[in-house]
Amino acid sequence: MAGRDEGREVNGVRGSPLRVAVIALTALAVLLPLGLIFYQSALNAPFFVRPRVPGVEAFEFIFTDSDFWDSLKNSLIIAAAMALIAVPLGGILAFLVVRTDLPGRGWIEPLLLIPVFVSPMVLAFGYVVAAGPVGFYSVAVKNLIGLVPWNVYSLTGIAIIAGLTHVPHVYLYSSSALKSLGSDVEEAARMAGSSPFQVAKDVSLPMVMPSLLFSGVLVFFLGFELFGLPLVLGDPEGYLVLATYLFKLTNKLGTPSYHLMAAVAVCIVAVTFPLVMLQRYLLRNAAKYVTVKGKAGRQRPLPLGNWRWIAAAILFLWLFLTVFVPLSGIALRAFVSNWGEGVNLFEVFTLDHFKEVFNQPTLVRGIWNTVLVGVVGGGLAVVCYAAIALATHRRPDGWSRFIDYLVLVPRAVPGLLAGLAFLWVFLFFPPLSPLRSTIFSVWLAYTVVWVAYGTRLVSASLLQVGSELEEAGRSAGATRARVSRDVTLPLIRYGLLASWLLVFMIFEREYSTGVYLLGPGTEVIGSLLVSLWGTGGADMVAALSLINVVLVALGLAVALRFGVNLHD
Amino acid sequence: MTDKTSPNPTKLAVEGLHLSYGDNAILKGVSMALRQGEVVSLLGPSGSGKTTLLRAVAGLEAPRQGSIRIEDKPVFDGAQGLEVPAERRNLGLVFQSYALWPHRTVFDNVAYGLRLRKVSAAEIKSRVDTALSNLGLGHLGARFPHQLSGGQQQRVAIARALVYNPPVILMDEPLSNLDAKLREEARAWLRELILTMRLSALVVTHDQSEAMAMSDRILLLNNGVIEQEGTPEAMYGHPRTLFAAEFMGSNNRIDGKFTQVRGDSAQVAGDGWNLWGSLRSEGKAPGADATAMIRLERVQLAAGPGENRVQLPLVTSMYLGDKWEHLFHHGTLRLRAYGREPLPVGSHWLQLPQQDLWIF
Amino acid sequence: MKKFLVMSGSALALAIAPALALAQVPAGYPASYADTVAGAKKEGKVVVYSTTDTASANPLINDFKQLYPGIAVEYNDMNSTEVYNRFISEKAAGGASADAVWSSAMDLQIKLANEGGAMEYASPEVPQLPQWAVWKNQAYGTTYEPLAIVYNKRLLTGDEIPQSHADMMRVFKEKSDKLRGKVTTYDIEKSGVGFMLITQDSKFMPNFWDFVKVLGAVQPRVQSSAGTMMERISSGENLLGFNIFNSYAQLRAKKDPSIGIVLPKDYALVMSRVMFISKTAKNPNAAKLWLDYILSKRAQSIIANQAELGSIRNDVQGDMTAAAYQKQLGAALKPIPLSTDLLVFLEPAKRLDFIKQWQAAMKAGK
Repeated sequence: MAGRDEGREVNGVRGSPLRVAVIALTALAVLLPLGLIFYQSALNAPFFVRPRVPGVEAFEFIFTDSDFWDSLKNSLIIAAAMALIAVPLGGILAFLVVRTDLPGRGWIEPLLLIPVFVSPMVLAFGYVVAAGPVGFYSVAVKNLIGLVPWNVYSLTGIAIIAGLTHVPHVYLYSSSALKSLGSDVEEAARMAGSSPFQVAKDVSLPMVMPSLLFSGVLVFFLGFELFGLPLVLGDPEGYLVLATYLFKLTNKLGTPSYHLMAAVAVCIVAVTFPLVMLQRYLLRNAAKYVTVKGKAGRQRPLPLGNWRWIAAAILFLWLFLTVFVPLSGIALRAFVSNWGEGVNLFEVFTLDHFKEVFNQPTLVRGIWNTVLVGVVGGGLAVVCYAAIALATHRRPDGWSRFIDYLVLVPRAVPGLLAGLAFLWVFLFFPPLSPLRSTIFSVWLAYTVVWVAYGTRLVSASLLQVGSELEEAGRSAGATRARVSRDVTLPLIRYGLLASWLLVFMIFEREYSTGVYLLGPGTEVIGSLLVSLWGTGGADMVAALSLINVVLVALGLAVALRFGVNLHD
Repeated sequence: MTDKTSPNPTKLAVEGLHLSYGDNAILKGVSMALRQGEVVSLLGPSGSGKTTLLRAVAGLEAPRQGSIRIEDKPVFDGAQGLEVPAERRNLGLVFQSYALWPHRTVFDNVAYGLRLRKVSAAEIKSRVDTALSNLGLGHLGARFPHQLSGGQQQRVAIARALVYNPPVILMDEPLSNLDAKLREEARAWLRELILTMRLSALVVTHDQSEAMAMSDRILLLNNGVIEQEGTPEAMYGHPRTLFAAEFMGSNNRIDGKFTQVRGDSAQVAGDGWNLWGSLRSEGKAPGADATAMIRLERVQLAAGPGENRVQLPLVTSMYLGDKWEHLFHHGTLRLRAYGREPLPVGSHWLQLPQQDLWIF
Repeated sequence: MKKFLVMSGSALALAIAPALALAQVPAGYPASYADTVAGAKKEGKVVVYSTTDTASANPLINDFKQLYPGIAVEYNDMNSTEVYNRFISEKAAGGASADAVWSSAMDLQIKLANEGGAMEYASPEVPQLPQWAVWKNQAYGTTYEPLAIVYNKRLLTGDEIPQSHADMMRVFKEKSDKLRGKVTTYDIEKSGVGFMLITQDSKFMPNFWDFVKVLGAVQPRVQSSAGTMMERISSGENLLGFNIFNSYAQLRAKKDPSIGIVLPKDYALVMSRVMFISKTAKNPNAAKLWLDYILSKRAQSIIANQAELGSIRNDVQGDMTAAAYQKQLGAALKPIPLSTDLLVFLEPAKRLDFIKQWQAAMKAGK
């Protein structure tokens, strides 16, 4: 029997019913929670309180709350500082690693990417125990010079830490751009007489400028969404950012004020959505300067000469401050029973925290759920992302563009609110209710929140399949669906596996989306960390954090072993 | 020994260059010299090391051993551990991909080298304008590379390499990016340019006809060493090895065995045929394997049997416009020959003159 | 003969059965309680939403299971906001929710009960409970937990350790250099419990707003929970905190030599975890059994001695009991009564007003 007729339109959508179903489901999964948020912000009370009174009281409240403006100001300051710190550092590190003969550049790259995959809660907590007022390193320094010259709880401290931990994001895009820069344009500059640094300044930098610009906007955008870092570091001196202000509203009035939270979410989306659109525009532009034409000549690294050691020092300083300090803090805290000024560390080593963790069924369930949602959930998510990617693959029609913009929407909503919106969806749509207290709810929220990232991963793999291969299948008589099944998917199976791995790591790192979904049965390490931090169970937090880091490290190790490209 | 006072000073001298990528030896002892006003082609198949040699001269690759001197100043000396970086060798390099900077105008692309040399703005303007107009690009100074055609881009690349008057200009496959038709015109134009500007040029190419057309001398590289070096006529007419013979021109190859050896002549024989040819290698005895080679244009159509002739059936004739190419094949003998006229089907006699049949 | 034996045998069984059932009824309870027990056995389980963490509640759960085999306890522990949220939203959605709600957020519990969420049920244990702990037979206080001042033993000594609220004011003034930035208290905007406790302080402390100014002068670091406060005190990042649950502090002090505890001698607030039965409970009888059990002497001894929360009954022996505390502090103990007074500050306008006043006073002190 002949395959489905390609030209037939189904409800105006060209293609098979399968494609229609994928598009419809995606639209539902994305727009329903967002719609609920907007709806809720237009009511004067939580939407399940009858009678429902529409009004602008929610916005009135937050616009007259000085905390809101403070948090907005802080968010702007931190986001700007992050971009100013991360972009130059990230660009320089990318240039040093990709283009020069920096010592150690062969094995540096995975270390550089660690902050991307470690949960910000974990990092923030690490900074408190390592560099806080009585942190391990602070106490050591105080013993040496009599005072602690830094304050991780100050706005400056938070901004610097945020900037440093976002260097890898800039690094990823800049190094990718530098790698796709043909070496001949740089060699031409050298032949004309410019030293390696003049080459960087006159040729490499302008040509990767689009990527740097894109990363700058990305980091600024991420700054607006910051939650874990300011939650842990902003509390003691009372610095709020938009996301923690939203979180605070949970309790400020004594009873949950969903309408206020929704109003704040709408304000956040109003800022982040344009930023997401801007990012998309810049990403397309960044492809302009890719010049790999002609012979892909052997890239001879630019010799740094005497600057080698200074460059290496910069690199190792960043690694120390951003990776080693917090992680060593956590590792140490997980194994000591108490800490601080006046405590001799060698007397307090213990495995009790881990024993406690494994004694608490909630925490054990959380660990198990986290692994489950990462491995099985990650795989299922990749299947969904592949379906969406295939629905738009090589079909530049209106529906593909619709999907393109659709998947950007969840990116603009902070994970915290996305989780809350999904809670509402599960609560108030009877067919879905039984799933609410299962890990499925968390999986669904994660999958939707990360749809843009995951779909882009799979799309990148799909684009690697030469279109002639698919065209050959179709001229032999196979339908598009058949070609996808028989030709495309088998060819990208390694790409799919790599995507699975990356999605696994992202899911492991997640923390804000699960917060409002947290309940018996839906615990994952990330949201447990937020909750435990709130109730002061720092022992548990340390042990759980270490377990989380180990899980991510496992993922990273597998990725490196199989040469998975960590760039997206 | 310096050559500066002689009418034709040496611009570039390479001695015993060895270069490896890791464990892979690419150049295994290469020596050459380039004199003022000469065009020398580095010719060879891929992997022969010709591009590597060019890049080593440019300073973009680091040799292990040997020496390189530009205008009698050493820029690389393995024994003394001297390596002058590329940006201080003052050479011009035209890349195969042209490597124009996309974010700069044509004018700025060409001016860059002068700016680095701290030339005054007024002088930059006049020199760049001159360079551009010399290459027929006078009106394109304000354009960006992506707005130019391939041929125009190539000329910009050349202008950029020449504007600061380097002693030697290096070119990596200058014609390979052009359409076949344009290539013939371009090689004439390029040679004329080099002569007019009295440049000394080192050109890498894989196309032997291009090398012969453009250069004063050809260096044929094979597997990291120089197989043979000489003028185009010498390379074409007097190849010293089978490789060199086969690389130039269009050839027929005949495999057989030595039956007689007499001084610098030898007889080879195969299945039902034997031919006398001129012996080009040493130490051959009857019974050994022999490879004979004759250029297509040297095979003559004969009326009937005779000395050094074979009779073969015609397989097909291909019309080339200015001549016909005939293909004859029987058993192990497969010969192609040129002719002015089409041939009737059937067997024909072919003459293989002894001095043109080279036996290795 | 056989027929007679069978008949009398069954008659005997029938006669004994209620007695056997009666044997399940705790001493002093009415006979009709047996029906409740039977009903509960049919229901088979009780769903509890609670803020008491599972580790502390386990002894109670296990004992309950021993007492009433066949009734499972589905114990869900979460924080007080979650308890409130889940209960409210599940009720609104009409789906399954808790049978018994047990939370330390006294104000939120009274609010839920006041809005008709609680079943009116007179527990047989009511006579054994203090009056302030019973609200309209709908909500019950189940523990007796004083709030303490907690300090770092390694770093504070002698007269640096306040013994009362008034003493705290003195210490803040006299030792302001040592204590600046090192005192910790609740962020009353983030912590509902913290907010409630401070409003209670405003009732009992004679010059409350002066106290707040003096507190503000030492630039306290605010935290969102008692646990974080104790963590910071233990490490020495902070030196002193107040309104911390004595039960938590005692638990921590057992493992942590840095923690020192003082029950304030001028007055000590006492809070009680409030439990009620949901009006729409799916397992009402099992819920009643659970409530009565928690209020019974048997469970209260466990609460005092194993769960280490603090028993509310006077007839229970142990250190962490109402009786023991009363011997120690007498009239200084000020239990927070279950009443609609607790609802005053749940009203947004009043709450925000108080917060504003608080923040102004804190700033004025600086």
